[in-house]
Amino acid sequence: MNILVCIKQVPDMESHFRPNGTATWFDESNLAFRMNEYDEYAVEEAVRLKEQLGGNPEITVLSIGPDRVIEVIKKALAMGCDRAVHIQDPDVASKDSWQIASIIAAYARGRQFDLIFTGMQSQDRGSAQVGVLAAELLGFPSVTTLVGFAYADGVVTATRELEGGVKGKVRLRTPALVTCQLGLNAPRYPTLPNIMKAKKKEIATFQPGELSSEPPLTGSTAFRHHEKKGSGVVIEGDIAELVEKVIVILKEKTAVLR
Amino acid sequence: MNFELTHDQKVLQSAVRDFVENEIKPIAAKIDEDHMIPDELVAHMAEMGFLGSYFPEEYGGAGLDMFSYAILIEEISRGCASSGVLVSAHTSLCANPIYAFGTEEQKKQWLPDLLTGKKIGCFLLTEPDAGSDAGGTVTTYRIEGDEVVINGAKNFITNGGYLGTGIVLASFDRSLKHKGISAFIVDLTSPGVIMLKNEKKMGIRGSYTTAFALDNVRVPLKNLLGQEGKGFSIAMDTLDGGRIGIASQALGIAEGAFERSVAYSKERKQFGQTISSFQAIQFKLADMYARIESSKLLIYKAAWLKDNKKKFSLESALCKLHASETANEVTHEAIQIHGGYGYIADYEIERMYRDARITEIYEGTSEIQRIVIAKQLLG
Repeated sequence: MNILVCIKQVPDMESHFRPNGTATWFDESNLAFRMNEYDEYAVEEAVRLKEQLGGNPEITVLSIGPDRVIEVIKKALAMGCDRAVHIQDPDVASKDSWQIASIIAAYARGRQFDLIFTGMQSQDRGSAQVGVLAAELLGFPSVTTLVGFAYADGVVTATRELEGGVKGKVRLRTPALVTCQLGLNAPRYPTLPNIMKAKKKEIATFQPGELSSEPPLTGSTAFRHHEKKGSGVVIEGDIAELVEKVIVILKEKTAVLR
Repeated sequence: MNFELTHDQKVLQSAVRDFVENEIKPIAAKIDEDHMIPDELVAHMAEMGFLGSYFPEEYGGAGLDMFSYAILIEEISRGCASSGVLVSAHTSLCANPIYAFGTEEQKKQWLPDLLTGKKIGCFLLTEPDAGSDAGGTVTTYRIEGDEVVINGAKNFITNGGYLGTGIVLASFDRSLKHKGISAFIVDLTSPGVIMLKNEKKMGIRGSYTTAFALDNVRVPLKNLLGQEGKGFSIAMDTLDGGRIGIASQALGIAEGAFERSVAYSKERKQFGQTISSFQAIQFKLADMYARIESSKLLIYKAAWLKDNKKKFSLESALCKLHASETANEVTHEAIQIHGGYGYIADYEIERMYRDARITEIYEGTSEIQRIVIAKQLLG
C-alpha cells in the first residue's frame, strides 16, 4: 500500500497579523509557523494505518512552500512518515486552491497512491477546497471532515461530521482521498529519537513548474482587519430618563425617527 | 556565524514546546504543591527521549547535540523548573560522567537503564560540611578484596529520592584533600544506602533534594569511575557541563515569567489604559528581554563550543552566572508588573520567583562562577 499525506505550514494562529505590502495577504515576517492542525490529524491517521497494517505501507508526506516548510516536513517524518516531497515554492501564498490542487494531482498522478490523507482545510486560508479538487483531478472518490476512519481489504469506512452534530458513515474503495477534522485522533508528539531518525529520511524536491502551470481561477483582492467598532454607550437613570435619552440618540445618530 | 536554529533544532524546539504546553504546564502548580513530579510524567518524559537526549543511540540515547540539549532544558523549564532540573541533573551529573569517564563495560551496564528512564540518576558530591569546597569531602571508602566499602553522609542530592543510580564521591585519605577523592557508580537500592529525607524547599519543590547516610555501603570495585584519586577532576569536569543545563533551566524560568508579563501588561488596565502603555512597564520589559537574550546567546555559545569539542569551562561559568542572575531579576520584575496578582499563587509568577532562586546556588554558586571566570581571565 502506498499512502500520500499532504500538509501545509501555517502561522501560529495566536500571532498578530498585519497586511503585506500589497494588502492582499498577511505579512509573513516575525510570524512563528507550525503544521496546520487538520494536517496533523491526517499525518497521525496515516501513521496509525501503517501500524495497523504491520508497517507495510509506505507513507510519503508532501508540502508546498518556501524553505521553512522543511520544518513541518521533518515533523511529519518524525511522527512516522517514511519519505518526503518538498515542492519548493516561495510564492505559495499567492496561489489559489486550484493551482495547489493541480500541483498535488500532477505529483500524485502515475505514482500509484492508494490513499491520500489531508486536512479538511488550512487554518490560514480556510478554503477547504484543495483536498476535494485534487481528488477530482485524480478521479479519486473523496470524503471530507473525517472524525472516524477504518480500513480493511481496500475499503475505507469513514465517519464524517455533518451539520448539527449529525454524523454520516461513508464507504469508499481505494484509491481514495480523505480530509481530516478535529476529533479524528490525538496526534502523537514526535519523540527525540524519532526526530533524530527523521534526519536520515529522504526529502525529494520539485519545482512547481515541473508539475503544473495552471493559471489561478480565483484571487484575493484585499486583506485587512475588521473595522474597529466604537465603544458602547451606557445610559443611566429611571425609565422616563432612559426613554428620553434613547429618543435623543435615535434622532441624532440614526434615521429611524425622521 | 549563524544565529538561526537549524530546521532540526526548530523541529525539536516546537515538539518539546508542544509537549510542555500540553503535558507539563497545566500541572506545574500541582507539582509545586505536592512536592513531587507524578510518576506518569517522568515515564512520559522518558518515552519522549528526554532522559537520553545527547547520548548515542547504541546506549539508548537520542543522539542529540549539546545545543539541542540546552533547548530541551530551556523549554521544559519554561513550563516547570522542577521537571527541568530532574532532566538536567539526571543527564549532566549522572549519565554524562559515566559516558565520559566510564569503561565500555560500565557504559553498557549503566547507561541503557538511565537513558530510557528505568533509573533516574543523581550525583552525590555535596556533604553537610563540603559544599563549594568539594575538596573537603569526608565520606570515605576502603577497599576490601574486590569490593569498596563507603561510609559517610551526603545531602542536597537532586533526584536522590528516586533511589536510582548515583555517582558517589568519596575519599580514601582525607589528608590528601582533593587528590584522595574517587568516584563510584552506586545502585542506590544497595544495603547501607539510607535515605534520611527529601528536604522541604523554597522553590523547585517538585524536585527531590535528598539527604543520605552511607553506612558500610558495599560496591563492586569495578564500579570505580575513572582512576582512583581522580574523583575531584571528574567532579569538576561534570559540573562544567552541568552548568549549561542549569543556565538553560534559569533561562527557561526567565522566559516563562517574561511571556506572562508581556501578556498580562497588555490585558491589565489601570487609569483607563493597559499598563503596557506606561513607560515604567515598557522599560521593565525591555530590560528583562535584554537580559534574557544575552543569557540565551551565552548559553548557545557554550553549547556550541562543547559540540565543536572546544574548551568551554569559561563560557559555561559565564552563562550559568548570567542566566541565573537574569532568572532572579526577571522573576522579581515579573511580580512587580503583576502587582498583587504576582504575589498570589494563582498567577504562578510567585512560583517562578521561588524556583529561580536556587539557580544562583546549585551546581556552583554565583560566587564560585566568578572565581572560575576570574581564574581563567587572570591565568
